[in-house]
Amino acid sequence: MKKRLILSFSLLIVLALSACSQNDKEETEVDSNKVFNIGAIPDQNAAELNRSMEQIAEYLASETGLDVKFVPSVDYAALVTAFERGEVQLAWFGGLTSVQAMSLVEGAEAIAQRPRDEEFHSVFVAQKDLQLDSLEDIKGLSFTFGSESSTSGHLMPRYYMLENGIDPEEDLAGEPNYSGSHDKTYKLVESGTFQAGALNEAVWEGAVKEGKVDLNKVDVFYTTPAYYDYNWTINTVDDVFGAGTKEKVKKALLSMGEAQKEMLDIFETDKFIETTNENYDAIEKVAKELGIIK
Amino acid sequence: MRLELFSTHKKTYLTFILIGVFLWSLLAVNWDKDLFHSGGLSTLFQILEALFQPDLSKEIILLAIQSTWITLSYAVAGVGLAIVIAFILGILASGIFFEAGPLGSLFKTIFRGVLGFLRAIHELVWAWLFVASFGLSPFAAIFALALPFGGILGRIFADMLADVPEEPIQALKSTGASRWQLFFYGYFPIVKTGMLSYTMYRFECGIRSSAIMSFVGLGGLGYQIQLSLDDLHYDEVWTFIFFLIAIVVLIDWWSSQLRSKWTHSTKHWFLPFSSLLTAGLLVGAWCYIYIVDRASIIELFSTKNLEFAKKFFANMFGLGDESPAFFNGESWKAAISLTYDTLRMSIMAIGFSTVLMFLTVLPAARNVANGKLTLTRRWYNWVSFAVIRVGYILSRAIPELVWAMMIIFIFKPGILPGAIALALHNFGILGKLCAEVVEDLDARPIRHLASSGAGKGQILMYGVLPSVFPQFLTYILYRWEVIMRTTIIVGFVGAGGLGQQFKLSMSFFHYSDITLLLFCYILLVWAADFISEWARKTVK
Repeated sequence: MKKRLILSFSLLIVLALSACSQNDKEETEVDSNKVFNIGAIPDQNAAELNRSMEQIAEYLASETGLDVKFVPSVDYAALVTAFERGEVQLAWFGGLTSVQAMSLVEGAEAIAQRPRDEEFHSVFVAQKDLQLDSLEDIKGLSFTFGSESSTSGHLMPRYYMLENGIDPEEDLAGEPNYSGSHDKTYKLVESGTFQAGALNEAVWEGAVKEGKVDLNKVDVFYTTPAYYDYNWTINTVDDVFGAGTKEKVKKALLSMGEAQKEMLDIFETDKFIETTNENYDAIEKVAKELGIIK
Repeated sequence: MRLELFSTHKKTYLTFILIGVFLWSLLAVNWDKDLFHSGGLSTLFQILEALFQPDLSKEIILLAIQSTWITLSYAVAGVGLAIVIAFILGILASGIFFEAGPLGSLFKTIFRGVLGFLRAIHELVWAWLFVASFGLSPFAAIFALALPFGGILGRIFADMLADVPEEPIQALKSTGASRWQLFFYGYFPIVKTGMLSYTMYRFECGIRSSAIMSFVGLGGLGYQIQLSLDDLHYDEVWTFIFFLIAIVVLIDWWSSQLRSKWTHSTKHWFLPFSSLLTAGLLVGAWCYIYIVDRASIIELFSTKNLEFAKKFFANMFGLGDESPAFFNGESWKAAISLTYDTLRMSIMAIGFSTVLMFLTVLPAARNVANGKLTLTRRWYNWVSFAVIRVGYILSRAIPELVWAMMIIFIFKPGILPGAIALALHNFGILGKLCAEVVEDLDARPIRHLASSGAGKGQILMYGVLPSVFPQFLTYILYRWEVIMRTTIIVGFVGAGGLGQQFKLSMSFFHYSDITLLLFCYILLVWAADFISEWARKTVK
């Protein structure tokens, strides 16, 4: 038995070592190719998002000649961390996550957004039979935000709740829940788990258009004022992939149109337009006020 | 006089104290207000309905098989590495290689301390620390499994080695055996069955831990469960859970076969088969991780990565932060109140599991089901035995985190859903362990009670309880320690306590808050270990 034990241990070690050295060679090959990784915050149905992002990676590869790959992320913060570490070069962020990314990476730049992101809204939904008609009515109800890192699912809804004199930690039935994604928020309200919730207007409109949500069970009762939201934020790519890379990627994104309709559908848009970091100063201010960014 | 009184009745006193503490923990919940979400009950029915109609479409089954392999291979790699760590540290911490003396016991204490530190932090917290400092790499998950499991296994190994009787070792020593010979021919043969059985149990735990590594980005069963829960497809959730249960049951069966074959005969075909299977799993797992998942240990220690790790730890220690949380009175106040909540959550959880265990433990024992203990044979005894045992398996095969993800759909956020999720998982383990204690009971006194007409409740109170009490209490306290480590995990999905704040601080990159919360968490885990050890010694 002893011999067998030693044998299996040494086998394990030899295996680990040989695999190491083999892997070493592989790595250098991959490095010379320099993969341009793109990512997206997992704010809606993961399967659909992954499919569309793979297509966008293909499109960007054909337009720019870069080796573009999509890397899925588990949560918002994971994508921000990957961006900070330079493992992701281009990311589809929400307002708050892009502000977090810009503060972590000097030179990171918001380059493109949807026309609707200039005037984005959150919607507050509730079970229809509650017949709510103003924001104050959610006092005493069970409530869910989306992800805690979401701008339209948490940051701005929380901001407008406070503006209207509602303290989410005190005035609801129990503490607020964080569902993790916009899709899950309306589904949880629809299925009756929570009485009310707040989510991204675009995801809501998409769900209504595609008949994914039963309007007899859940409906909008309040829409927030407008703010800047989602954008494509690019890392300091020119240092790694050569000068002009940023411009190339930006041009490719801005020239998406009718031919790329299938991949634009998941974003609920028909094109992307230019944006700048300054557009997100207001979000940063709100996040600081709420103590989310220090 | 008073002390004497305490020592003769200490079991009774301790029981009353523990019950009192449990009742106190219940005060943390406001029982007047409705505990369920308005739609919590209907969600519960949706989940239960799906249990009997799992999604068995070809697509989902294929996905489940693939995910099972990922979960299995990371568990194999992680636990394999943990065994190496446990072997080395366990032998050092047992002190059998050191000369008796102050230096020897100093080394022993140091290595015990290392093991204690490794196991104090839950694997998912290790995983998060690795991902945040070294980036998302397959090694983050493997090391995260290997370190705490190495710590737990190592301590058990050390205890087993230290408990080896003196005489056979002295006999070997007198024949002039070297230290290594002493180890291989003296110590090892005595402890090998115990080591094997505990290692197999940890392997089973490793499967569950590997599944929940989805939280830091590892694919596998946990990831699929999470995705399906996000879409509220409970039928798919159950399919994946059934696969998880299947591996857990298979490993359990393998372990029990192996133990009985190893003690009874050394020439059974099952032994070489098991060695081959182990080697096959190890090779398969590492090949998969290296070739398909492209793990690279070189990349892990690249200069770029070290830079990030340095930056991360600087942030954790609050360098460059104008007011680090651990120098801030407000943050301390918040953290201490969360620590207090978490403590109550853990006590509530072990209390619930204990109550459930007591309600089910008798019918779940084989010697009760077949009538040997109570001298009454009823056909329905076997039915209740089977139902409860299946319930135990279901309960323990599902990780706390997955229970929590479902429970928060039903109960309002707070510490109650956390306590329930922890109780649901631990009740199965506690039930199984305690049922085995009942099965090993000396049947004669109980038969005597039964033949004089005692009912089930009376048999439990006067026959079973007095003889199993110390063993039950040991298991209950031991599970409480485990629950304490896990409280932080159920908080990740919104089930209250330190974990919930931990997750929020992670999302907002408030590093010094994380340090403060981690500090409170480790303190809590150590306090639990200490109290539980004290209580166990008291009843002995």
